[in-house]
Amino acid sequence: MKSGHRYAITLVGGLAVGLGAAWAITGRGLSDGQIANGPWTTSLGYGTKATDAVTRAAVARAGLLALPAKETVYWSAKSDAAGAPLDGNCRYSLSGAPLDARWWSVTLYDTAGYLVANDTKIWSVNGANVALDAKDEWRVTISPDKPAEGAWLPGTKGQLFHLTLRMYNPGGGFRADPAKAVLPRIVKEGC
Amino acid sequence: MRSWLGPLLFGLIVAVAAACAAIAAIPYGLMNVAIDRLGQGGINRMAYGNLANPDRQPVVRPSPDLAYSSCPYDLSAGPVAIDVAPVPGRYSSLSIFDAATDVIFVRNDVEAAGKPYRIIVAREGQAVPAGVETVRTDHDRGIALIRLLLKDPSEIGQLDAARRQSSCAMVTKLK
Repeated sequence: MKSGHRYAITLVGGLAVGLGAAWAITGRGLSDGQIANGPWTTSLGYGTKATDAVTRAAVARAGLLALPAKETVYWSAKSDAAGAPLDGNCRYSLSGAPLDARWWSVTLYDTAGYLVANDTKIWSVNGANVALDAKDEWRVTISPDKPAEGAWLPGTKGQLFHLTLRMYNPGGGFRADPAKAVLPRIVKEGC
Repeated sequence: MRSWLGPLLFGLIVAVAAACAAIAAIPYGLMNVAIDRLGQGGINRMAYGNLANPDRQPVVRPSPDLAYSSCPYDLSAGPVAIDVAPVPGRYSSLSIFDAATDVIFVRNDVEAAGKPYRIIVAREGQAVPAGVETVRTDHDRGIALIRLLLKDPSEIGQLDAARRQSSCAMVTKLK
């Protein structure tokens, strides 16, 4: 083999490895300020002025145009309270107390982060449209078919889903220790 | 085997250089895509986007509870003025992102005391009208985004006129 061929091969290989590595390094979400709370995770690094190129690229991929944590905290859940992936064919109870924020909402997305068509055109529940029970708690059923009673967030038949919890202008108590805040419970009831 | 030593070293250098260049380029590339998708109404103009639904998702994880109005801007011909009119009693915010995706300004309705305000976005050295709050940036391009919270998507009917009070335009007069 000629020397030129060897350089051509390693040029192509080097480019492929480099670009693949860049995509992999920036695709793991944010490690800065990463917080876990039950099945929910967030990073307080969104919407801040990035200090290095890797963080900036990771933020651009995970939360382009996202607001800083003082304005909005974005929590993401990919699994239920038992750690199993959220499955659109199953029925879940999503419940909790009103959250410590000026406004909050929970939105259901596919695993790539996009809304999925459903007949009712409901993709989220929020603090203004859930009813509180005698114990001051709200409860929503996530399931492929409408439950007999109570609030409903349509599940995604035949595919896994993710939930995003947004807290707008979170309270001082919450911001002091987000990892210990009481967040909604996600409990599987059946499939 | 020795004949591969040089090419392999070369390949390693290429890999590192390609990775660094790609990581640096990713934010700009994604921001360009967002500017193109949100800028259907043109540059330096506020577009009052329809609510997000499965057929209209210009960015990843759009919130179906928010009415997004966006002004993709370009300062190469001069500063841009953004006029924001908060809607009484509900969360709204203006956030400005530069071409590198960094947030350079955020203000919500409470911080604005519920009153209308004007912000000028300008590059360093560009002349701006006296007495107007100015945000300086190192990049020509970016997006100014206004979020308005809806209790229910049907509210957009009654709130659409109010959100259209917010606008953006190139600064043409310095006084």
